[in-house]
Amino acid sequence: MAEQALATAALLIPVVPFVAFAVILLGGLLPKERGFGGATSTVLSTASAGVSFALSVYVLLRVQATDASFVAVRTAWVEATGAPDLHFGVLVDPLSALMAVIVSLVAFLVHVFSKYYMNDEGENGLPRYYGAMALFTGSMLAFVFSSNLLMSFIFFELVGLCSYLLIGFWYETPSAASAAKKAFLVTRFGDYFFLVGVAGVFAAFGTFAYHGDGSLFDTAASAIEGNVSVLGVGAETAVTALALLVLGGVIGKSAQFPLHTWLPDAMEGPTPVSALIHAATMVAAGVYLVARLFEFYALSPTALLVVAYVGGFTALFAATMALVMDDIKQVLAYSTISQYGYMMLALGAGGYTAAVFHLTNHAFFKALLFLGAGSVIIATHHKQDMWELGGLRRRMPVTYWTFLAGALALAGIAPFSGFWSKDEALLAVLRNAVNEPLLWVPFGLGLVAVVVTGFYTFRMVALTFHGEPRSEEAREAEEGGFAVYTPLVALGALAVFAGFINAVPLGIHALKTFLGGETFAEYAAETVGYVGEFEPSTALSVTALALAVAGSVAAFRLYAGADEPLRHRDGATARVLEKKYYVDAFQVWLAEDVTYGLSKRLSLFDIDILDGVVNGTSRVSLGSGEAVRRIQTGVVSHYAAVIALGVVGLVALVGLVGGWF
Amino acid sequence: MLPSSYYVFLSAFVFSVGLYGVLTRTNAVVILMCVELMLNAGNLNLIAFATHHGGVAGIAGQTFTLFVLAVAAAEVAVGLGIFILVYRRYGTVDVRKPRLMRW
Repeated sequence: MAEQALATAALLIPVVPFVAFAVILLGGLLPKERGFGGATSTVLSTASAGVSFALSVYVLLRVQATDASFVAVRTAWVEATGAPDLHFGVLVDPLSALMAVIVSLVAFLVHVFSKYYMNDEGENGLPRYYGAMALFTGSMLAFVFSSNLLMSFIFFELVGLCSYLLIGFWYETPSAASAAKKAFLVTRFGDYFFLVGVAGVFAAFGTFAYHGDGSLFDTAASAIEGNVSVLGVGAETAVTALALLVLGGVIGKSAQFPLHTWLPDAMEGPTPVSALIHAATMVAAGVYLVARLFEFYALSPTALLVVAYVGGFTALFAATMALVMDDIKQVLAYSTISQYGYMMLALGAGGYTAAVFHLTNHAFFKALLFLGAGSVIIATHHKQDMWELGGLRRRMPVTYWTFLAGALALAGIAPFSGFWSKDEALLAVLRNAVNEPLLWVPFGLGLVAVVVTGFYTFRMVALTFHGEPRSEEAREAEEGGFAVYTPLVALGALAVFAGFINAVPLGIHALKTFLGGETFAEYAAETVGYVGEFEPSTALSVTALALAVAGSVAAFRLYAGADEPLRHRDGATARVLEKKYYVDAFQVWLAEDVTYGLSKRLSLFDIDILDGVVNGTSRVSLGSGEAVRRIQTGVVSHYAAVIALGVVGLVALVGLVGGWF
Repeated sequence: MLPSSYYVFLSAFVFSVGLYGVLTRTNAVVILMCVELMLNAGNLNLIAFATHHGGVAGIAGQTFTLFVLAVAAAEVAVGLGIFILVYRRYGTVDVRKPRLMRW
């Protein structure tokens, strides 16, 4: 009975926002006078997120109490004798329950904040905004509860679509429209690999299922054990290849190097959208997918190492770019890329719990930072350049204190949430680096990124909130009301306290127990030979904390109060950073010069050879017709002569064949 | 009775005269007359063979000749009608003048 209620609740979590989306969509057909406009959409979408959040909390509590892990609803999608097993299902387990709470909570708070950011600013197109938000919330939750890889892929694409719609919300602005296109294309590039991976997984193992007997993981594991040849190669090689293909989609969605370029541009969208989609949830879909497929990745040491290298490199790479950005949202965007790098690094090193833990904390503190930035942006009438802000801590105390909590969490300073999870991520890497020397490189990158993170975070805080106001708008900033305070304070509290759910140095392992982290650590241990005996916890924690504090204090000293002198950045390094390591330029060059140039060359084949054959055929017909039609003189005698000659010829032929002569 | 080959050679001669006329003359009426010659050469053949074979085949050959005569008469009627129209349009029945039906 209780399980029935749990199943229904889990099913309703994604369905409710979908219904809200459908109603808003159909409401657009009603005439405006009937009063279906921005206000109704706001209420519908916000309420649906609220209901989903309440249900998610219920599901989380039930799952925690009963230790449940089952496929709640299972509907056949394709049903035929001998047809492959394709179904839609709702997978309820600790990971999905936790993720559902994160997504629906942030979605709800962002909806509340949107009331301030969008409605109160008198934006047009509110039904479109809230419709897309509801669709996003529903798709993301459905992705979270997906019970098989194909379903994950479908909703993975749907959230990508919502991201596109919302980045391009202000589609009249060319930069927003182009950013939306860029986000769509870049993530789609990764998704091609994902799609091939999905098809490959099915071809290799004949199932998509995450759970139950004969699941994808069991099949793959027994294939490797039995040394079976899959898809013409060894099972382990096949698993590695498929895992790397799926990783393509992950790299695109979670904005990892080299497909990270879309995320900073995505900041063209409304700030609440950045908070929800491009910080807390959608970008997390990639990392969540790897966590979901962790048992699969754990079968291949190579795939895990690639994940760790991508993550470690991205963590430092993106953090360095955040150092020189002037736009507050750009700093946060690069910081998001960098933080997801940490999660990938942890996953690649077998730190399943650490990655999910950091994902949780990051969702809260990064949403908080984005909403704080949104509050600043509205208060100063869309000033985003930090050099035009400053001194806002006196004018906007609530925003300042909550933003500070988020910044401390991001920088990884104890006892704020980010410290505990970042610490555990690094610990997971270090622990396994003892047995796998190749992990020392990403570990080093991750450790250096801690200093950089502290530095850019407090550069941002100092420039925005400290010193003297550097513009008229900053001097006269007015903080918003209830709709701003509620989300900020709620997320601020989480940024402070969420870390204690798994504070390893204090001996708290609640999250690890809940997620069954031991089991997952064993997967990695069995296949990759990662053994978690080495426990240098305290030493590492102190080092990481010292690095974070050093970076933060340095930035604070340099930027709080000071301004102009530090802006001059003429060095070669600064130039490379400001050009974003030329990755964008490289991609544009790749698309415009290489691909387009090559296409133009190739189109010559089409024009000259293919069209040439077609046109040549008609030219021959026309030419020969032109020549032959001259025999039609119109003179009767000529025709008579030809007929007579023809008869003579025919008789001669018949005679020759018939043997008359 | 003369042997059948005589009739056949006569027929071939008449036919050739007709064909020569059709190919060389420019006056439409003369061409029509030459066509009649060719047709009648054919008739001559039919009659000759009808007599040669006799019996049912002979009856059939004679009947066929009557048909050809009837068709030839109709053809002359149509042909002369066309020539009258050609004459009205071009003022001559020279077959080299009407050259509309060409490229």
